Amino acid sequence: MSPDGATPIVPQAQESGIKAALKYTGVPQSWLSKRPKLPSRNWLIFIGVTSTVTGYYLYDRRQCKAIRQAYVDKVKDLAEAPLRTHDYPRKVTVYGAKWPDDEDSDRAIKYFRKYAKPILVAAAVDYEMIVGKRYGDIASRVADEIKSRRRLEAGIDSPKQSIIIKAGDQSPEAKRQRELEGGIVLIGQPTFKEFMEGLRRGWTDGVEKVDKEDQLARELEADGKFDEVEEPISRVDTESLSDGEPLPTKSRLPPSTGLFTPPYLRPSSDTKSSSASLSSSIPESLNIPPVSIPQRPPILFVPFTNYIGFLQIPHMIWDFFNQRQKVLSGAQCAYRLIKSHTRPFEPSMDLDSGLDAERYYKSSMKKYAESVEKIRTGYYKALPDKLKTARDLARGNREPTKDEINYPPPTEVELRAERLKKELRWRSDVAGWDIIKPETPVAFDERFNGALQIFVDPPDTQTEL
Amino acid sequence: MSFLGRGPVAPSSAGPLSSERVEAAIQEVELVTDVFNRIVSSCHSKCINQRYLDGELSKGESVCIDRCVAKFFEANKRMGEKLQTMGAAAG
Repeated sequence: MSPDGATPIVPQAQESGIKAALKYTGVPQSWLSKRPKLPSRNWLIFIGVTSTVTGYYLYDRRQCKAIRQAYVDKVKDLAEAPLRTHDYPRKVTVYGAKWPDDEDSDRAIKYFRKYAKPILVAAAVDYEMIVGKRYGDIASRVADEIKSRRRLEAGIDSPKQSIIIKAGDQSPEAKRQRELEGGIVLIGQPTFKEFMEGLRRGWTDGVEKVDKEDQLARELEADGKFDEVEEPISRVDTESLSDGEPLPTKSRLPPSTGLFTPPYLRPSSDTKSSSASLSSSIPESLNIPPVSIPQRPPILFVPFTNYIGFLQIPHMIWDFFNQRQKVLSGAQCAYRLIKSHTRPFEPSMDLDSGLDAERYYKSSMKKYAESVEKIRTGYYKALPDKLKTARDLARGNREPTKDEINYPPPTEVELRAERLKKELRWRSDVAGWDIIKPETPVAFDERFNGALQIFVDPPDTQTEL
Repeated sequence: MSFLGRGPVAPSSAGPLSSERVEAAIQEVELVTDVFNRIVSSCHSKCINQRYLDGELSKGESVCIDRCVAKFFEANKRMGEKLQTMGAAAG
């Protein structure tokens, strides 16, 4: 340093071009001669953290795009193939059941739409998405389809004649061939369980058409809940009937055919015989489960875990920053489906394929049956009051109050309908949860052994993009 | 189908060629043609590549057109119902 305290940088005559030029632009000299300095420690921390997070996010999304584009490029040549006017494209059915305790029943299908669908669209494979809105929906749907197909084959039902004339080969063999070429996509472990249960039920139960609501209505009105009872007996009523079973001691209560039960709801003495007459129209031989099951279209199992709940928030955050793994998994599954290499179903390996997803079910679901029971008892406790109001108003025992004129309370018919609906919903929910819960193993039947196939990776897959 | 459901109310059967029925038929044909033209133009612009070498529809285009037409009909139907309820509520 010079003794007179001059600035360290002495302006020389041979300054670099920029500095010389900038001297004349009006920029203050002190700015030009400053040394670059690191920002303070706090700023450094802030900038470091923010740029790490943002950078990781951007890296992840860029990788997602790259992976997706790579897989799309692999398959898009398939879409160039011509399709004559009378041909059908390949069509797969996608099942997505409701994840336990999720309010949004669409999560599984959204996963499919986001991660697997782009590849399928690029390969020109048509898909049909079926959402299970409540627990057990997919199982009952699959079972009903199988039963209606059994009925068709047995000749009980005749095939529907549609007025629309469809082009192309509509014969049953061609339809069956198309269906076998298609495929079934199951997203998530609950869907898998429900599907297998539906298969088992479809091939094990009898073939007659059972109207669930009808059956339930019959069962419920044999119940004493809507009985014409006096106040003291009504307390006994609700205590003894907490589980909805038909009254064992009917003689204790006044007859349940009150003046106001509509005729079709009066308990008939021969409920058994009426249901027997329904099934007798179908020969018994068809009700026996068949010994062998025809081929089903191959199954693709898409692993999917839905994170719900406060304790799983770290998983959610990790997922947000690592979507490329989901993209990769979804794209690989779709690629498998498109390439269509199948192998027969191996019970030892495949039944356990999605078990680790079950660890993420909320633990509050263990008490699901009890919570439904609680709601049910609460409802039945409140029911006699509502019933009394309805009956009093209907018979004119008392005049309606001003509130009741403005907001008319439900009549008895409405109460019955409401009860039927609620019971149907509770029972199907509890039955559905029974299928999905971790304690229940995946349903399997020996007859499935030769009939099911799984999509696998084609033999020439590379493990990376 | 949407247009069949929304078509004009069947007039009195006053003879096979009454002017009412002819009018109704003409309206329905116009309606159907209009919907058809819209579908063709919209799905063509969305689904079919502008440059092509082959006259045959490829699989991708065919699947895309299937979906386009299905969605169009669905949207058309819902709009029709909505307009009907709005018209009924208003008038």
